[in-house]
Amino acid sequence: MSDFAIEAHQLVKKFPARPGTGDKTADRDAIPSQPKKRSLWPFGRKEPKALFTAVNGVDLEIQRGEIFGLLGPNGAGKSTTIRMLCTLLEPTSGTARVNGFDVVTQANDVRRSLGTLLAGERSIYWKLTGRENLEYFAALYHIPQAIAKKRVDELIERMELKDRANELVEKYSTGMRQRVAIAKALLARPPILLLDEPTLGLDPQAARNLRELIAQLKQEGHTILLTTHYMEEADQLSDRIGIIDTGKVIALDTPEGLKRRIDQKEVIRLEVTGWQEYIGEKLRGLSEVSNLVARKQAEADLWEVNLQSNNSRAVLPKLVESIGQNGTRLVNMNIVKPSLEDVFIHLTGKALRD
Amino acid sequence: MEVTLSSRSLGKPGFLSDLRAFWAIVWREWTIFKRYPSWIIALLIWPLIFPMMYILTARALSGMDGSGLAVFTQTTGASNFIGYIVVGTTVWMWQNIVLWDVGFALRNEQMRGTLESNWLSPTWRFSYLLGHTGPQLITMTMFILITAIEFGLFFGVRLNGNPWLALLVMLTSIPAIYGLGFAFASIVITAKEAHTFVFLVRGLVMIFCGITFPVSLLPGWMQSVATWMPQTYMIHGMRAAAFANASLTELWPDLQALLLFGAFWLTLGYLLFQWMERRARRTGAIGQY
Amino acid sequence: METTTLSQPTFATQLRALFVIAKKDWKVFWRYPLNAISHVFQPIIWVTPVYFMGKAFSTNGQALGFAQYSGTGDYMSYVLLGTALSNFILTVFWGMGFALKEDMDAGVLESNWLTPVSRLHILVGRTLTSLLTTTITSIIMLIIAAALFGFRPTGNVIAAILTAIPMLVGLYGFGFAFAAIVLMMREANTMVDVSSFLVQGFSGANFPVKSLPYWLIPVSLMLPLTYGFDAVRGWLLQTSTLLPINVEVAILIIFMFVMLWFGAWIFNRVERKVRRLGTLGQH
Repeated sequence: MSDFAIEAHQLVKKFPARPGTGDKTADRDAIPSQPKKRSLWPFGRKEPKALFTAVNGVDLEIQRGEIFGLLGPNGAGKSTTIRMLCTLLEPTSGTARVNGFDVVTQANDVRRSLGTLLAGERSIYWKLTGRENLEYFAALYHIPQAIAKKRVDELIERMELKDRANELVEKYSTGMRQRVAIAKALLARPPILLLDEPTLGLDPQAARNLRELIAQLKQEGHTILLTTHYMEEADQLSDRIGIIDTGKVIALDTPEGLKRRIDQKEVIRLEVTGWQEYIGEKLRGLSEVSNLVARKQAEADLWEVNLQSNNSRAVLPKLVESIGQNGTRLVNMNIVKPSLEDVFIHLTGKALRD
Repeated sequence: MEVTLSSRSLGKPGFLSDLRAFWAIVWREWTIFKRYPSWIIALLIWPLIFPMMYILTARALSGMDGSGLAVFTQTTGASNFIGYIVVGTTVWMWQNIVLWDVGFALRNEQMRGTLESNWLSPTWRFSYLLGHTGPQLITMTMFILITAIEFGLFFGVRLNGNPWLALLVMLTSIPAIYGLGFAFASIVITAKEAHTFVFLVRGLVMIFCGITFPVSLLPGWMQSVATWMPQTYMIHGMRAAAFANASLTELWPDLQALLLFGAFWLTLGYLLFQWMERRARRTGAIGQY
Repeated sequence: METTTLSQPTFATQLRALFVIAKKDWKVFWRYPLNAISHVFQPIIWVTPVYFMGKAFSTNGQALGFAQYSGTGDYMSYVLLGTALSNFILTVFWGMGFALKEDMDAGVLESNWLTPVSRLHILVGRTLTSLLTTTITSIIMLIIAAALFGFRPTGNVIAAILTAIPMLVGLYGFGFAFAAIVLMMREANTMVDVSSFLVQGFSGANFPVKSLPYWLIPVSLMLPLTYGFDAVRGWLLQTSTLLPINVEVAILIIFMFVMLWFGAWIFNRVERKVRRLGTLGQH
């Protein structure tokens, strides 16, 4: 029995590429198609099947009792990694152990040790009541009947579903359905919890409540692996964070440790109207400036420009000068301490949110 | 960090808990089924109106003076075409319903999103198909009973044979009919126009198995095809047991064929399920739709 | 800034919208090739047991008992004609209401309905495609079935087609009303299944209405479709008809106008009610 709650070594997952999957990373690893050469073989050459690599060598070592955050943009491979860990997917290569059990050869033992939250409200039966859903899944997890009843009551109380536990789930709000799904993950009191984007789609209050719950669960001794693309969430909750991008973990450390990596840099956040790409090019050319990312905001014509600088004092006047020309206007400017998003930009040159 | 008491797992694996998990699946299916109100109509009306179309056509074919009927009796050996037809159409309905119900069991869960959460639990995965069969069998029994009652009551169709033997034929048919359903369930998960497959299979039953006519009327090659379909034996056996007072010895060839086909389809159904399940783990088909 | 709308509704643009909808439906239909093939072969599959059952009642290929009711011993030609026409019944019952419902489920209905094209126009557009595709599949089916089972239309083909037209148009008019009902119901499957089946049966698709038990015959006589089937068969197969053929054709023409008006009226009423109650987004 190993010491780690979850261990993964060089996990790789390749899917046969399907046309029009809509994933930008699909082209990256697709085997380039051969030009059609005429061959002597009458039945046509067999084209090698194009493969799309979702996870490209992920290593993880998650301690018992810690909250580990897997942070990355959409399409980074977070969900695929979680699905391999909970035995829904078989790795193409590499190994993983959950609670000491191998995910491929001891799959049932792994499932017994896990509570998993995937795709929240669709994972429960809408034509059953909240209570019926929990009782059903309790039986699937082999919880003895007497204990199951008490446990279901306990969880209904804890997740604040008591008033409507006996109504059909189809009448619940999204937040309530998510709470049922979480209760379902907690039913067997599993030592390890996998939560895939748990606060996605929840209103801010509900998300806040959920994060408090996650912190409490850690106090109660659960090990938690959660994936998210919200940096504040990862920052606030995790003991350690793995930043994942295009199928690889590109950094793994405590939140402070990660931010310290770009400590010597300061982050300047600008709000600009009438942004033009050539200004970005010009600023990137400055030696004190690195990792400039411009992102259009929801409001008309407003752009948020983040850049990192090792000498903000020197660069500020140059910024103001470059921007105040040709209809571009500087609306707001902040010098901030680096956040996890800035760490991500520093590591990949891209923004975390799309 | 020490694992404290409050996070120790509650699950206790074992045979009894496997049984309980299976029962939970049956119960879940039944509860959800009850909550869709249209089943009542389906259960009361279809047993009556589906055979009626053929029966009314047969009535027309008999003619005003029954001259056509005389020809029928000569060809089939049955004096009453109503019972003859009802048996055939009911078998067809049974296979049809199983193809939709059991055949789409997993696919429907996949589309709803619940297949994944079931798959995450440590329960033996074939239980989900087997468990689904439970409530299905109950509704089918009701369907058949209602058919018998309605036709007995309204059309005076009377049993002429040993009811236990008729029951035996039905029980012997279960493995074949449901085995086909299991095979279907696994194939249908990834098929795009899956309902077309159902139309195809039930179409084959309709054409070859003699639902409203004796198989002997088919051209030779079609009769050969019919011998490969378990439903042919079911219809033949049921007609003999229910209306021709057949004995166990006379029914044995049909029963034997049904048992063989049943073993074949159940095995195939299980193997296809294993194949599908492995494939899904490799390609992630379970989570997508 | 330019915010004047580009939308300029005229008769021509309404017509164009109709055409676009029909074209879209046409394309989508043929993109499910298995489904299209199914449309051709399903009726043949369903008629096969009737063929063999008829053989059990016939001597030398003539169903003399049948001839007593219908005026012809060629029961297959009788049934095949009924099957070809039934295709339209099936298409109307399943196609109209469920096309709308499918759109609803796929969320497309709301985006379609947000356009300023009259909802009825949308239905009419779908109708055009459905009429065309069903005619094509029916003809192909008849050709194949003729080869398999034998089909001998000995009478006036033109008159038969002309008679079918008001029947079909009236049927589609009824389809509008039916689509309205399907819209309102949350689970319409069973109702559509049962009613399409019963309508087919009672209009005499598979057997002469005269052969029904006497207490059921009034039901058939109330269905305008019954006269349609009867008249078309009368022309094509020279069978004996329930009423003089001219009377039946007149009934069909009246039926057509009544149904067109009635169907449109019901549909509009229900559509407004649905908008008021807001049931459009749920299912």
